Amino acid sequence: MSLQLVFDALSLGGIYAIAALGIALIFGVMKLVNFAHGQFIACAVFALILPTADAVAVLGLGALPAVLLIPAIIGFGAGLAVLAEALVFRPLRHASPVALMVGSFALGVALQNLLLVLYGGRPKAISLWPDLGQPVQIGAAQVPLLQLIVIGAVALILGALALMLKRSRLGLEMRAAAEDFGMARLLGVRANRVISGAFALSGALAAVVALVLVAQTGVADVRMGGQIMLVAFIATVVGGMGSLPGAVAAGMALGAASALLQAFLPDAARPFRDAFLYALVILVLLFRPQGIFASASAKPRV
Amino acid sequence: MMAKLGVHDLSVRYGKLTAISDLSFTVAEGERLFISGPNGAGKSSLLGAISGAVRAAHGRIEMDGDILSGLSPEGIARRGLSMVPEGRRIFRGLTVQENLLVGTGLRRDRAAVGDDLETVYQAFPILRERAHANAGALSGGQQQMLAISRALMTNPKLMLVDEPSLGLAPKVVDEVYDHLCALQALRGLTLVIVEQSSARAARVGGRMILMRGGRIVADGDAATFAADDLLSEAYFGDPA
Repeated sequence: MSLQLVFDALSLGGIYAIAALGIALIFGVMKLVNFAHGQFIACAVFALILPTADAVAVLGLGALPAVLLIPAIIGFGAGLAVLAEALVFRPLRHASPVALMVGSFALGVALQNLLLVLYGGRPKAISLWPDLGQPVQIGAAQVPLLQLIVIGAVALILGALALMLKRSRLGLEMRAAAEDFGMARLLGVRANRVISGAFALSGALAAVVALVLVAQTGVADVRMGGQIMLVAFIATVVGGMGSLPGAVAAGMALGAASALLQAFLPDAARPFRDAFLYALVILVLLFRPQGIFASASAKPRV
Repeated sequence: MMAKLGVHDLSVRYGKLTAISDLSFTVAEGERLFISGPNGAGKSSLLGAISGAVRAAHGRIEMDGDILSGLSPEGIARRGLSMVPEGRRIFRGLTVQENLLVGTGLRRDRAAVGDDLETVYQAFPILRERAHANAGALSGGQQQMLAISRALMTNPKLMLVDEPSLGLAPKVVDEVYDHLCALQALRGLTLVIVEQSSARAARVGGRMILMRGGRIVADGDAATFAADDLLSEAYFGDPA
């Protein structure tokens, strides 16, 4: 039972962390909270299936074998985010942060309605990798294979991202830009390259979240990005806006708290799990309004 | 001979406030130019306009005869201009070495980056010692050395330095200028330095432009300024 709980907490927290990173990466370099991130996730989900208004989805891209499907959908997510940046956020680059934020809301609504037009409003059943539901015996616990894969994938992604930020040229430029964009540009760092890079990474992470959501729930719903976007946004705030380690830690903590509440709340209180969860968030923010890992870059730039 | 830097009829405005009006001057290759004047004279706005960080209302800025106006800051940096900004603006969360490497992405001679890093470390052994420590942990003087070294790592032809003495002890300021002058001689750099203290500029030596109210009120050898009435005129006199 308790081992089971550890796996639940790690897999849920891992997904929240990946989603929160998608928001924190863009906030870090642009000081933009991208509220369209949830719709990036939804778009990546619907990219798996062919446009139809029926309740049962026909796999399009999703019918590919996993070795092709995973890079394809990650590439789709990255491409969508880069395109969105070029079309929507680049023209607003010199606008106020509020205008940028409103722009991201508008983009989110536009994407959601595009999905409604193409696919209709009814949730659809998708059967992606049904074999992954098989339980695996680990000690006393029965853990779905999918959960193990999710935990492994999250660890791999976090490691690769940390390595990329620490070791690569683009990573160095992104970290410098996150601290002082103007200074980085004075040193020849190309603003467009850094911002496109951040959006590409963010979109790729959105696609990963999409794959996991579909594999877990077996449903494609136009509204499915909203819920996880909310949790991810809260994680970035609790973690300290712009802090990548903070986003990961807070995402993990939210997932763990959610799994723990689910397991230990009395039956009568369980439907109100999220209320307890967000009460915890309020408590944390009362004591640390700047977030757990407040970063220097969260200060407004002049 | 073509000037290294040419500023022609430059004006900078912030809303209705005019920071610089119709300013013109040229800087020769290898020259050391001090820009002095009271607070609000427009010195930092001038450096901002040259580096592309501040948009000019009108006028033309040229480097080696190429027009810089309208280029992005990174585009200007890529043409060989580097900036040591006011307040140093080092990346505090990056290591010392990472700070030095941020500006090397624009270089075509990647192979020479290692040699340049070695040169910096020889000039400032403390930076080598702290290479993998967070830059935010350096003292003010060390941060100034880091900011200068970071600007040099882009392999610039023209370097703008904004108030290098700000917030530093006089003895440290001596050191900073010793290094700047040595580096200039070594590299054949053209230097434009904003320096509030005209006495300091006179001591280091070079040409000096005195600004006031967004205009140039005097231009000449820094050494002759120290005794000059123009100086007190610029700081305390009636607005021109």
